Parts: sequence; C-alpha cells; structure tokens
Amino acid sequence: MKRNLLALRHLDVDDIQYLLSLAQEYKDGLRFAGGNGPRRSIGLLFFENSTRTRVSFEQACHKLGYVPVNFSGDGSSMSKGETLKDTILTMRHEQLDALVMRHRASGAAFLAAEHFSGPVINAGDGQHEHPTQALADAMTILERKGQIEDLTVAIVGDVRHSRVARSNAWLLSKLGAHVRYVGPNTLIPSNMSGMPGTVHYDLKAGLTDADVVICLRLQRERMAGPLVSSANEYTKMYQVNRGSLRVAHPEVIVMHPGPMNRGIELDDATADGPHCTVHDQVHNGIYVRMAALEWSLGEDGAA
Amino acid sequence: MRTIFRGGRILDPSQGMDLVGDVVVENAQIVSCGEATPNPVADIEYDCNGLWIVPGLVDMHVHLREPGEEHRETIRTGTMAAAAGGFTSVCCMPNTSPPLDSSALIDFILDKASSPDSGGVFVAPVGALTKVVDGNRRLTNLSSLRKAGIVAASDEGNPLQDASLMMNAMEYCHQLDIPILCHCEDLTLSVNGSVNDGTVSAVLGLKGIPRTAEEVMVMRNCLLALQTGCRVHILRVSTWGSVELIRQAKFLGAPVTCEVCPHHFSLTEDDIGEFDPNFKTTPPLRSQLDVDMLLQALNDGTIDCIASDHSPYAPHEVNVPFEEAPFGMAGLETSLAATLTFATHPGTITPLETIDKMSTRPAQILGLDAGTLRPSGTALAQITLVDPALEWSFDVHRTFSKGKNSPFDGMKFTGKPVLTYCGSEIYRDAAYDSGRVVGED
Repeated sequence: MKRNLLALRHLDVDDIQYLLSLAQEYKDGLRFAGGNGPRRSIGLLFFENSTRTRVSFEQACHKLGYVPVNFSGDGSSMSKGETLKDTILTMRHEQLDALVMRHRASGAAFLAAEHFSGPVINAGDGQHEHPTQALADAMTILERKGQIEDLTVAIVGDVRHSRVARSNAWLLSKLGAHVRYVGPNTLIPSNMSGMPGTVHYDLKAGLTDADVVICLRLQRERMAGPLVSSANEYTKMYQVNRGSLRVAHPEVIVMHPGPMNRGIELDDATADGPHCTVHDQVHNGIYVRMAALEWSLGEDGAA
Repeated sequence: MRTIFRGGRILDPSQGMDLVGDVVVENAQIVSCGEATPNPVADIEYDCNGLWIVPGLVDMHVHLREPGEEHRETIRTGTMAAAAGGFTSVCCMPNTSPPLDSSALIDFILDKASSPDSGGVFVAPVGALTKVVDGNRRLTNLSSLRKAGIVAASDEGNPLQDASLMMNAMEYCHQLDIPILCHCEDLTLSVNGSVNDGTVSAVLGLKGIPRTAEEVMVMRNCLLALQTGCRVHILRVSTWGSVELIRQAKFLGAPVTCEVCPHHFSLTEDDIGEFDPNFKTTPPLRSQLDVDMLLQALNDGTIDCIASDHSPYAPHEVNVPFEEAPFGMAGLETSLAATLTFATHPGTITPLETIDKMSTRPAQILGLDAGTLRPSGTALAQITLVDPALEWSFDVHRTFSKGKNSPFDGMKFTGKPVLTYCGSEIYRDAAYDSGRVVGED
C-alpha cells in the first residue's frame, strides 16, 4: 500500500508511533534494509534551497538501497515557467517510484500528491508543515526523555512562519504532550484556536517547568523587517540561554531544527551544552526518513 | 406579435407586486402585468404554473475579461452564462487589458455585446476611475466615458490607495452624477495574503488578510461619500465590521449602498479544505460569525444588492499552489440558486426582497431601464422565470462560462432560473420543458 506523508495534522497516532518505532529499529541495528527488493528510484524535488534535508534524504535512500534522483528549482524546467502540475506529471513518466518535495508555497505537496502516481513525502511546504523534521525531533525527545506523553514542550520564536512549529505541534500534542507557543505577538498567528496548545508572549512564563524547548530559526531578513524591532531587542526578550532556562525543568532539553543563529535564538553556552540536542536531531533525521520512505512505498512489511 | 407569460407568481419589487397573474408582451415590450385577463389571444404562450415571473435579473459586478483576457472569458461566453443565470443586464468591470478607460473601448464593448452571437443580455460598462499618465495616476475622462455609455466608474481590481485622489474622484463624479463602485482594500494590510486572517490561515501556514484591510477602506470611502455627496457603492462586503460601518454611514446620511456575493454568505474559510484554489477570492471567505452577520444585514436591508463578482479564470491559472492562484470565482450561473438556497428558502429574505436585491435595486442604483415588469413604453421586456423548488446539482463542466473556478461544483441547490427573456427568449433550461405542456399557436 502506498501512502503520502503530507501533514502530521492528518496522521493517526498509530501511524506516528509505527514510523517512530521503525526508525528506532534501524538505528538500533534491529532492522536491515536492502536485499532482494526492487531498486526504487526516489525523486528529490527541491524547489527551495536545502542542504541538510536533502542530504538526509539522500543518505536515507542509500541506506535503503534506493536511488535518489536529484532535481532542483534552478537548473530545471521549473525556472523556465513550467507549472508545478506539469513538472509533477513529468516526474510520473520519469519512472520515479516516490517523490520527496520541498516547495515555497504552503499546500504545494497536496497539489503534487494529486498529480503524481506514487507516494509523495512533504519535505517542507511553505509555512505549512515539515513532517520528517518533526518525526526526527520526536525520536530525539523519546531517546532523551523516554516518553512524550505529559511533557511540556515550549516552541519558541517565529511560530508564524515556521512549518517546523506546526508539524511539531501536531505530532507532539497527538502523542500527549502539552504544547506552548512562545514569542512576540507579531510572530505568532493572531488566531491560534485551530492549533493545539497555548500561547505565551512572555518567555519566562512560556519556559516555566518546560521539559523540552524547541527553538525556531529567526530568518535574517525578518530581523530587519517590520515584525521585529531589532535583533538586539528580540534577543533580550526571547533568547533561550542559561538565564532564561532557569525556570525550566532541570533536565530540560533544548532543540533546534537548524540552521541556528548563534547568539540570537540561543547563546553559545546553551548551543554547545549538554542539554542541546541539535546533532541528535540531524542524526535521527536519517532514520526517520528511512522509515518514511519505506512506509510510504508500502515496503515496510506491515499489512 | 403577442407573448403571454401565463399563471405564474409575479414578483415585482418596483411595484411591490406579489400575486399570481399574467405578464403580456407585445412587440418585445411589456404591455400589462397583473391579475389574469380572460381569453387573450397570444402568438406565444409560456405556461408559468408553479414558477415565479420576475423582472430580468441585474448583476452589477461581472468580469467579462474582454478585451485582452479572452482565455478567461469573452463577452460572448460571459453573456451566455449571464442569460443562463437568469440575468438580462450585467455590468462589466473595467480592469481588463487594456482597462476600460477610453470611449473607444466602451464602444467596442457595446458593439460586441449587441452582436447577434452574444448572449442577448444588456451589457452596461463600468469605466475605469483612474489611469496612469506619464507615471502619475489621474482621473479618466469621465464625462466622455459617460457620453460613451458607462453607468458607473470603479477602481475594481486596482483599489485606489490615495485618499486625496479618491476625494477628487468623488467630487468630480458627484458633479457628473456618476456612481463610484469602490473596491475597498488597503493593500499594505492585505499584501501577500491569500486567506482570511484567522484560524485557517494559522493552521495552513498561509498569510492572512485581516478584516481591517477591507474595513479601513470601507470607512474611508463612506466618510468621503458623506463629505462629497458622491453616490458610492461598496463592492462585495465580507465582514461584520464593514456592515456595521455602512449601517452607521447610512444613518449619518451618506449616499452609500453596498452589495454582497453569494459565496460570502454561504461559505466560510473552513470550506477551503486542503488548499483548494477554487475557494480563493478577494475579499477572502471569512468566519461563520461574518456569514451570520451578512445574512442579518441582508434581512434588515443594510445590504442593498446581491452581485456575483463573476471572476472567471482559465484552468491552468487556477490549478497551481494556493498562494499562487488568482483571486476570484465564476458566479453568474450559481448566483440566484445559491441565494435562494442559502438566504431565501431559510427565510432570511422574502422572495420579493430577493428579486429586489438581484434586479430592482441594482437597476435603480445604476439608472438602468431594467428591474421592473411595469409597462414603460420604452424598455425592452426583461423577464426571468424561476422554478423556486427545483432541486438540482451544479456541474461546473456544463456551464457556458469559460471559467470553471467555482466553489459550488457538485453543490445541491434548490431553485433555478429556467427561462430568460430579453426582448425575445435568450435562454431556456431543459427543466422548464420537462413535465410542462408548452403551447404555441
């Protein structure tokens, strides 16, 4: 059975847990890929720049014995005015078995899934979702904390423009965590009643007793834009550092999807400290992407 | 030559008439309208048993896309869609390519519309309010445009941001007695937005368009109307705040009218689902509260008219990621059915009020010789037959319009225009003939 991975908003708890356990089995060496299966071709269609997510998917493909086929927005027909629909229809006939897509427009992955023959994995669509990042984050939390249920998770920063925030909020709340969005009013959507969790404009209140802190990247162009008065003031109000973490749980972990702005979202000491899980998240990213690829192609052996 | 529309429920808001009777047409003009006359001899007779006989509908907000955007719609396809929607008069908006800012272009529109292969409905052009000359935005030659045949001027599609220029435009249009149809949108507030700023924008990660993007301009234009005395018509209100502001402006005596589109009082932001670009429009679909308040304002009369804002696009333009899709919906062929289904049948407005808002009132606002069944001695007979109880399912692939971008595809409606008459029969639905004995002698 072929399955799309478009949004965690739509994913069942059972599927989430299954994907996480599959990833953990790969990591623990309890599961081996490759072998006698057909050699699958996976289209990596990145309309937006990405290094780490693309590399992570490539690595996942290699480990599974799949062949990654790279496309980028610049060098291909997309820059010549082809519509997304036509690009996807072309991919269909390039005999690709699955498509991994990143696109600047929210919802683009849904359009791709409508026109592609095989499964589509959303590798980030605009400001909507980034499911495999959230899966990597959840796997990391499970490793460090042993559970997700009943944990308090503070998502700090530019929630408005963050697909990572949305995917994490859905995933973690579905697994029983209490999600908080923390940031300035200008960087949190005006009406969050459709999202799980609570909103805090005050960092101290948001971090109090938090078990997990997920820092979001503040894009450089945003620092000079109208939503933030200055990088300096933002840092003073919302930086995650030893001082602001004092109210959090003593065993708090600090996460970041990368790439980080050291000295803005979090300080040096925290970024390099024992509570920070940035590198675990990257490492686990490969395993969750292996799980996602197998699961979406229906080659995980499950009924 | 005599034609009789026999035995239907006559709904004519211009005479406050709601009774069962006959409408008689001689030489393409209405000669009588009222209770049945015994034994008149007719060349053509329409059995109207179970139907409403109403003045031909008037849609004051339609994009016919010609000249320049013929891949979206033409005057021919657009007027055929209008006839199928029960309309006998439509206003075409000026944001074409080039825009309708010269007398020559108004002549072109009127010529095309009256050609025999068009849909047979009256097209009343709306002129562009301003144009860019040497890099500066200034007023169009509105007096000449008036002589060429425009019935109003508008900044539709290109909302005027400069308050001082809008004030000048209103002063000038007041002198010329031209109503201004205002597109109320502060572009600094709506920039990059594609849906209502609310729950759905937060979940889907789409930049929201706050309701204030509409309301601040509604307020500005109402105040300028009050100051200048210019007749101002607010195009497609979508928020409860706009309705409240217009209510206040009317109370203060501002010469302001407004319209609402059927999609704004029947759908909400939740209907967008998973990024369906057929649900993208401007102003965006709002919340249930707004829908409730728009219906309330239809009921209490704050909203004067119902208009479709028919905005057809070619399929290749619509079938793209939501944020990149154009704003607008095709609406001519669903406007009456959606209104009957979502406003009239639930009891929000009476049948007579429905026809008032879709025919008589817009004709009055624009000074059209339409919107009435009263014998005038001058106007061509404009009559629409409506089957208010017909249950049908809308199939966008069977429309006359080139635009297939409708949020109502597959929707089950109750009520449909089944025959449109504009000097002669211009549209006849299969549903009119089924089960009906049609006499011609």
